[in-house]
Amino acid sequence: MRDRTRHSYEQRILRVLTHIQQHLDGPLELDALAGLACFSPYHFHRVFTGMIGEGLMEHVRRLRLERAAQRLKQSRRAIADIALEAGYGSHEAFTRAFRERFGAAPSAFRRRHAPLPVPDGRAVHYTPDQVIRFSPKRSSRSMSVAIRTIRPQRVAFVRHVGPYDAVGEAWERLMARAAPMGLLGESCQFIGVCYDDPEITPPERIRYDACIAVSGPIRPRRDLGVQVIAGGDYAVTTHFGPYQRLGRTYARLCGPWAARSGRELRAAPSFEVYLNSPEGTEPGDLLTDIYLPLMPAPGTE
Amino acid sequence: MKLDLYKEHAAEYKAVKKPIFVNAAPAQYLAVDGQGEPGGECFEQCVGALYAMAFTIKMTLKAKGQDYAVSKLEALWYPPDGGADFETAPKSEWRWKLMIRTPDFVGKQDLREAVKALQRRGKNANAGQVTLEKLHEGECVQMLHVGPYEQLCETITAMLAFAEANQRRQHGLHHEVYLSDPRRVPPERLKTLLRQPVRKA
Repeated sequence: MRDRTRHSYEQRILRVLTHIQQHLDGPLELDALAGLACFSPYHFHRVFTGMIGEGLMEHVRRLRLERAAQRLKQSRRAIADIALEAGYGSHEAFTRAFRERFGAAPSAFRRRHAPLPVPDGRAVHYTPDQVIRFSPKRSSRSMSVAIRTIRPQRVAFVRHVGPYDAVGEAWERLMARAAPMGLLGESCQFIGVCYDDPEITPPERIRYDACIAVSGPIRPRRDLGVQVIAGGDYAVTTHFGPYQRLGRTYARLCGPWAARSGRELRAAPSFEVYLNSPEGTEPGDLLTDIYLPLMPAPGTE
Repeated sequence: MKLDLYKEHAAEYKAVKKPIFVNAAPAQYLAVDGQGEPGGECFEQCVGALYAMAFTIKMTLKAKGQDYAVSKLEALWYPPDGGADFETAPKSEWRWKLMIRTPDFVGKQDLREAVKALQRRGKNANAGQVTLEKLHEGECVQMLHVGPYEQLCETITAMLAFAEANQRRQHGLHHEVYLSDPRRVPPERLKTLLRQPVRKA
């Protein structure tokens, strides 16, 4: 079973990689690519990052640059046209990105008699013949993941719309409302629900809910809402350290771990449970449980 | 800049691995009394109640524009009955006062409102046992203990020897400030600040 899921995750990602190569000039939208791979858009970007080692858009940008390098060497097309095909509106932006990747400006690169740089073995590279070599990233360290079945959890929450590194403002609003309501009681749980991929959604439109688990009845008021986090099976792992590095743990969980797990991801957002407070805790000592929703195990439905 | 009582009173929280004298000015604490093994049921309930009150009061006041950091957990330890010491008295008979240092502008009314809010939600039966207390320790011997709580007695012995060599005797309860979170720091790296009020012998 496990081998079969891993195989299936790899096949699905390969389908996406092939589609990307064939449609480098297209819009390549997240939802469409996720659909192609039969992954929920909530998790697809993380599965992709986990298995390929770079974000989806980063991957597309890199492939477009590699194709541009090939066209510079193998055609006589104007650099401005090649820049446009690579998705760059201005010559300057293209030159900057190109130099960063290949160490030379496009014109110098074209004149130089050096061959195209040899791609390293692991990453997926642009190939004009559409034969894609793909070896999914393996996790070097083992990852401790538990599968937990949780009941639906009612939460009081405040919605943050904006960059992830500014979610603190939502927590301030939530705390200011929750404290006089007596919600900061014993063993209260602080939960963050993330809906968007920061690589794809513009920072000012990223949605995040700062939540406190509640038990008794509670009425929504002003910016304080009430919602239910779905029950069911979740893969749970603990992230150790600063919140800025949560993405890496998500990538390992959604990529290498999920592919080996024998389980399918469920179309619901992941959430985070904060085990200690960023106030008065060194960033390196922060503990966060990540909950990744799973479909019921085969044969249990 | 929000108020951090430990930084505000940095001299009182000087933490070095040898005994020193410090002078602890009057301070206000949220406090709750209990008895039993540290980490046991009663202890954990009291910790929960104390933190629930500390954060409810802090967040309520912050929303009103008075921000401060919630300080670390501290505890006073009462000498066991009948002259026994901590080594020989069963842990179930240990009596303690758990405390969190709190700014002077926190008042009884803030406490009452927090208890009311927490009890309205239920599940916070112990919130009402948390009180507001003043403590003036004055001259103290203080020393940083690094390591498991089980080895605290070695540090205490060094502190008492230092007091005696300086013609001081114990005057008040043994006081501990838990600088590390035992849930995530391994025992050998746990930092605990030990304080013993003293007077001239």
